[in-house]
Amino acid sequence: MSLYLVTVLTNICLFSFIALSAYLILIVGEVSFGQQAFFGIGAYSLAIFYVYFDLSIIYSIFLGMVICFCLGLLLSLLTIKLSGLYFAMATLAFAEVFRLSMNLVRFPIEKDGRATGLNGPEGFENIRWIFENNIDTLGFFYITLIILTILLFCFFILERSFIMKNARIVGKDLILAQSLGINPRPYRLFFIGTAGGISGLGGALFALASTYIEPAMFGMMLGVHSLAYTIIGGLGLPIGPLLGVFIDIGLLESIRFLSEYRMIIFGGLVAIILIFYPEGIISPRIASRIKRFFFSKGFK
Amino acid sequence: MEFLQTCLDGLLFGSAYSLLALSFSLLFGVMKRVNLAFGSSLLLSAVFALWVDSILSVGIIGIFLVMLGSSAIINIYVEKICFYPHRGNYGAIVSMISSFAIWMQLDDLSSFLLPDRTASFPSFLPDSFFIIDLFIRIDQLFLFFIAVLMTGVFFYVLYKTNYGLLLRGVSFDGELARKLGVNSSRISSFAFAFSGVFGAIAAFLILSTESQVTPFFGFWCTLKGLVAMMLGGIGSLPGAIIGGLFLGLIESNVINYLGAEYRDICTYLILLFILVVKPGGIMGSAILRDERAASERI
Repeated sequence: MSLYLVTVLTNICLFSFIALSAYLILIVGEVSFGQQAFFGIGAYSLAIFYVYFDLSIIYSIFLGMVICFCLGLLLSLLTIKLSGLYFAMATLAFAEVFRLSMNLVRFPIEKDGRATGLNGPEGFENIRWIFENNIDTLGFFYITLIILTILLFCFFILERSFIMKNARIVGKDLILAQSLGINPRPYRLFFIGTAGGISGLGGALFALASTYIEPAMFGMMLGVHSLAYTIIGGLGLPIGPLLGVFIDIGLLESIRFLSEYRMIIFGGLVAIILIFYPEGIISPRIASRIKRFFFSKGFK
Repeated sequence: MEFLQTCLDGLLFGSAYSLLALSFSLLFGVMKRVNLAFGSSLLLSAVFALWVDSILSVGIIGIFLVMLGSSAIINIYVEKICFYPHRGNYGAIVSMISSFAIWMQLDDLSSFLLPDRTASFPSFLPDSFFIIDLFIRIDQLFLFFIAVLMTGVFFYVLYKTNYGLLLRGVSFDGELARKLGVNSSRISSFAFAFSGVFGAIAAFLILSTESQVTPFFGFWCTLKGLVAMMLGGIGSLPGAIIGGLFLGLIESNVINYLGAEYRDICTYLILLFILVVKPGGIMGSAILRDERAASERI
């Protein structure tokens, strides 16, 4: 494989994490404009634990995930009364507070003769794990692919369980869910927290891959893109968000020869796809058809 | 005196936010939809008007008229491609994402017409005067009065005219309105064109006080309009005005006492605080008591 193709594929894997986190939140019927904050918090906490405290990489990633999970729980506890646009704006406000305060924190240090550390808008340079361990681009791609596969496997187990079914009912119709005896609050808390953790995991891997992070990378555009991936791909199966990322990044790269007209074509194309597939390409209806085909041959 | 001057600056600048929040309020309060492409439609109309001016040299009145017309047309396009196909009860999120895609498209189109990244925008009434040591710019004062006037016009159109009645009817129950013989497609196009025209007036006034257009204007409009609308309270027209003025007040005071880099942080902290403590905004109803609002998803 050429280096360029590997880079594109790694990017697809990395953005799949944030798309999957947007997927979890959309399942419980909310819209979040703030997943980029968890992506950023994951990236920054990995960098801080790895560079300042010299923790091993596994612990750094794990601690970043835990921090993101706790912050997600905190955010969903604070906004437990909100839904719809109110929730979306609250998450946006949270994300922007994080991003803008990262612009103000400066604590540069020098390590092994290289400048590194938190440095406001100039960003966090020299997170050199992949160089210190001699991991090339292809190797890193395999690492992200393995982690993504494990995550997808967990998603498929979750998909078969009652948790996901109840969460889907909560997301589709709150009153129906309550009349069936489902308490929506634990689902909301668990899903929003978990979404934060997954997004943080993606952010940590992103920081490792790019070796440099700055607050401007985690702007509102990233969050809305992650929503768009999930909506295009569909809410039926966890493959949906991945398909959305693939369409976006893959298609954008493949129409690079039209680079000047890229967003003009792509924006219109997305709007037209959504006219024909308003529930996304893998909509819940198609997903249940697929599941019936694979899993219930004994019935009928 | 310094505090008074800061507050006055904030209020005058906040009227620009109020104008944007009003246009958002119209669409959200009446159509129950978030139009993320709104800011970039204003940007595109401004840039298009400047382009027309560079070819035909139509003058400042011509620029104004071209902006109004093109903004109405662009908003109808946005409505037809993003909102009309998803007009059912569950189409809210999809139409928002679709308008986000169109946002990208419109932004790119405007950067085509804006090859130098920035263009100067003609300004009018550039004078200023002093009242007892308070510095006031006439164009900003004008903006303030237009904002108040436009609230009146909005109110009149929504509650006193036939179109306003139809608009509220379609927003209350689109299916029922259709059964009663209302052409809901035309009504919702009208609402978008209306908000586009009003947004274009706002954009024209803001750009002429700033006297330049940058590619970030669209994003700025969308974000500030949304924040001001949330601060004031969704769907309430006086709330939009007050939210905008409040946002202006916060920003000017924070810049004066803490420094410019804290401006946005404080704005978003206050927004988060208001959403957590009193989700309906300053003027809005308590959303939880309003069953309809609580069950609605965007």
